[in-house]
Amino acid sequence: MRSLILKWHWPSSHGLPPFSLIALLLIVLIALDLTASLAEVDVIRIVKSTGRLLEFARQLIVAPEWTYLPDLLQKLLETLEIAFLSTTFSLVLSLPLGILASRNSSPHPIIFHISRNLLSFMRALPEVVWALVFVSAVGLGSLPGIMALTFVTTGIMAKFFAESIEVVDSKAIEGIKSTGSSWLQLITFAMLPQAFPDLIGTVLYILDHNVRTATIVGLVGAGGIGYELVSSIRLFNYSRLMMIVLAIYLAVTVLDRLSNRFRSRVI
Amino acid sequence: MFDDFSPPSLPQKPRNWVPFWLVIWLVLVGLAIFHLDISFKDLFLGFGDVFEYLARYRSPDFSKYLDYVKLMKETLAIALWGTTLAFVMSIILTPFAAKNISPHPIAYRLIRELLNFLLALPDLVLALIFVSALGLGPLPGVLALGFHTAGFLTKFFSESIERVEPGIYEAINATGANFLQLVLFAAWPSIIQEVIGYTLYIFDRNVRVATVLGLVGAGGIGFELNSRLRFFEYDQAAAIILIIIITIIAIDYLSAWLRSKIS
Repeated sequence: MRSLILKWHWPSSHGLPPFSLIALLLIVLIALDLTASLAEVDVIRIVKSTGRLLEFARQLIVAPEWTYLPDLLQKLLETLEIAFLSTTFSLVLSLPLGILASRNSSPHPIIFHISRNLLSFMRALPEVVWALVFVSAVGLGSLPGIMALTFVTTGIMAKFFAESIEVVDSKAIEGIKSTGSSWLQLITFAMLPQAFPDLIGTVLYILDHNVRTATIVGLVGAGGIGYELVSSIRLFNYSRLMMIVLAIYLAVTVLDRLSNRFRSRVI
Repeated sequence: MFDDFSPPSLPQKPRNWVPFWLVIWLVLVGLAIFHLDISFKDLFLGFGDVFEYLARYRSPDFSKYLDYVKLMKETLAIALWGTTLAFVMSIILTPFAAKNISPHPIAYRLIRELLNFLLALPDLVLALIFVSALGLGPLPGVLALGFHTAGFLTKFFSESIERVEPGIYEAINATGANFLQLVLFAAWPSIIQEVIGYTLYIFDRNVRVATVLGLVGAGGIGFELNSRLRFFEYDQAAAIILIIIITIIAIDYLSAWLRSKIS
């Protein structure tokens, strides 16, 4: 451990940055050079486009279209509802899955491995891809959005749950075990109470994540404010675009502040 | 009789608020379901259809895999460049965003508000805006990922710098170091492992997001997936989804391995 830390120590005895750091930097630079053409990174194009970007920014300074406000609030409410419902559903699904996927509470190593792999499959793809799939399965609307968000965030939330169950103090588990408790009693009286503050933190994080994601699943027709956003950009309706972007910013910020306050009170 | 004998009053039992909040939660769930007009009957009746629908993906068609691999490479390139852009920006912004070494409280506040704004706008929204300003292609995707995750990285880095024990800064300050020397010789060297860990995490995240940037025309494999699904070519879509999943899981393992090497 000590030697590894020393290797990263900087400034080093010979005055140069450590070798491992230089090597890493070189590898990254080579990779960047090789992929520059693929990503079409072109400094000249970026510099040339700053004019257009500024022009675009100038167009955003417009009087808001107040008559659009009721529609906007309606869509914003829908977005928040999608996030809230998905968080609730995935909370209900992740508690049992998290218990099965935690090394110390899983009833059997095989079940542990199966549920771990299931969870990493569930969270491998971004929500928007699943939203695409579910939209083409059940049609447009908020239902495919809720399904996609629930599916992916169950993978994330259950993994976090499992990790917080794994780090509980083993003394309490031994204590409950010594009373001859069953598996279920062990979980409800030794593990969950200790993991509870972590679980609350995870749920708040997932709610925050879901609000952000719910604003974009609308891009593929899965409900929420995202669809309004795309259509106002397509129609060059900048006064609406401005209002939508501000509404998303405000909603996310307010929720973030609220959940920070709640978190510091609970934990 | 016993009238003059009053037992010592017990302290009041603390009120259990859990049922109250649970009822409120359930009512809110009910209201949201009602308002969004979701019918559970349809959902459960639809379950059979969903399985029938998922069965259409059962035979992935890899005949055009060269095209897909090329698009996946483009996706990875977008993620790499986006992460690099974010990294460079956050290296510049972080010293001003860490409360304990920021040169001026006003600079700290300004940078923090900028970060909040970058973080609050989802990257697909940023990508949409950049696409309409710069035109189609991977470049707007790179910029969107870069700006959005610069917010993330600066937030992580500055929090790490704030956690470093103050003695290290005092020691460098005692030599009469200026702000730049403080940043170069006290702040960054103390958190270098965290910097690499967070950057790898952000790269992971950016690969995931880059797979969907194509939906808004910002390059990568997402556009192809969307058009295959639009034309009901489920075999092709299944192949694309499999390629994405394999790449993401491989990158996950790679970065987990790198992280374990570092710490």
